[in-house]
Amino acid sequence: MTRADRILLVFVVCILPFLYARTWSPDEQARYVQIQAGDAEPIAAELSPDRILQVHGPLGDSVIEIKESQVRFLESPCTGQQCVHSGWLSAAGELAACLPNRISIQLLGQHPLFDAINF
Amino acid sequence: MPLTSEKMQVQTTPEDHRIAWLTALAISIHLLESAFPSPLPGFKPGLANVITIVVLMQFGWRTAVWVSLLRVLCGSLLLGTFLSPGFILSLSGAACSLAMLWLGSKLPGQGFGPVGYSVLAALAHMTGQFTIAWLLFIPHPAVWRLFPILLTAALLFGCVSGIIARAMCQHRLPCQT
Repeated sequence: MTRADRILLVFVVCILPFLYARTWSPDEQARYVQIQAGDAEPIAAELSPDRILQVHGPLGDSVIEIKESQVRFLESPCTGQQCVHSGWLSAAGELAACLPNRISIQLLGQHPLFDAINF
Repeated sequence: MPLTSEKMQVQTTPEDHRIAWLTALAISIHLLESAFPSPLPGFKPGLANVITIVVLMQFGWRTAVWVSLLRVLCGSLLLGTFLSPGFILSLSGAACSLAMLWLGSKLPGQGFGPVGYSVLAALAHMTGQFTIAWLLFIPHPAVWRLFPILLTAALLFGCVSGIIARAMCQHRLPCQT
């Protein structure tokens, strides 16, 4: 091995952890949850303390649970229960929606991940 | 009309024969290697790289360019991947690694040995291929998550190829006159 070989190897071995750190860093921490019901202005809710919110929609009240900086639909008056099955949202940008009851929740961080999502 | 008795003759130089011989060797390795299953797309030992490195060390960069590009072309024709995405990736990887090898060979002093050249080529190959894959085929930022893993693999395989190339350089190749 020549000196250039060694320098190259050391350089690459030093660069690799940096690359891993950059591409595999955890998702952005969510700061608050945005709740939208019907055509009303979305409201922002803090992620602490842990609590349970009731949001009124055309079908009745959807129950939203906030726990340890995560959020989920706990109960919903809709038939499909897709929103409940979405489970816990934990990373910024994640979204769950109940279309029949016209309620959506989305975790937001400092930088919004998406402008819009189509289903 | 008189029959033309003279045979078509193509003038070849010893250099041409050498390139043909080495390319044939590289293509054989390329074909053998493609028979192995790959756990991840882009995950390949790249043992044909060994030939490129040996050629570079013993006959210079120009010959290495011929051998490397002919290997990509003929390998793709034999495997039926000519002009497919795989071929484009292969070609861009080869072009990128040849460019880096050229830069590496310009290094003053003792310069790189086979291991250094091989690692350099493997990393450049992977980076070039990956960039083209991202630009042309999968323009999604999440693809870059694969990049460090593939680069680590390239580093390991580059070292292995380099060690093989070093062992080969210690022997006289049959095509060497």
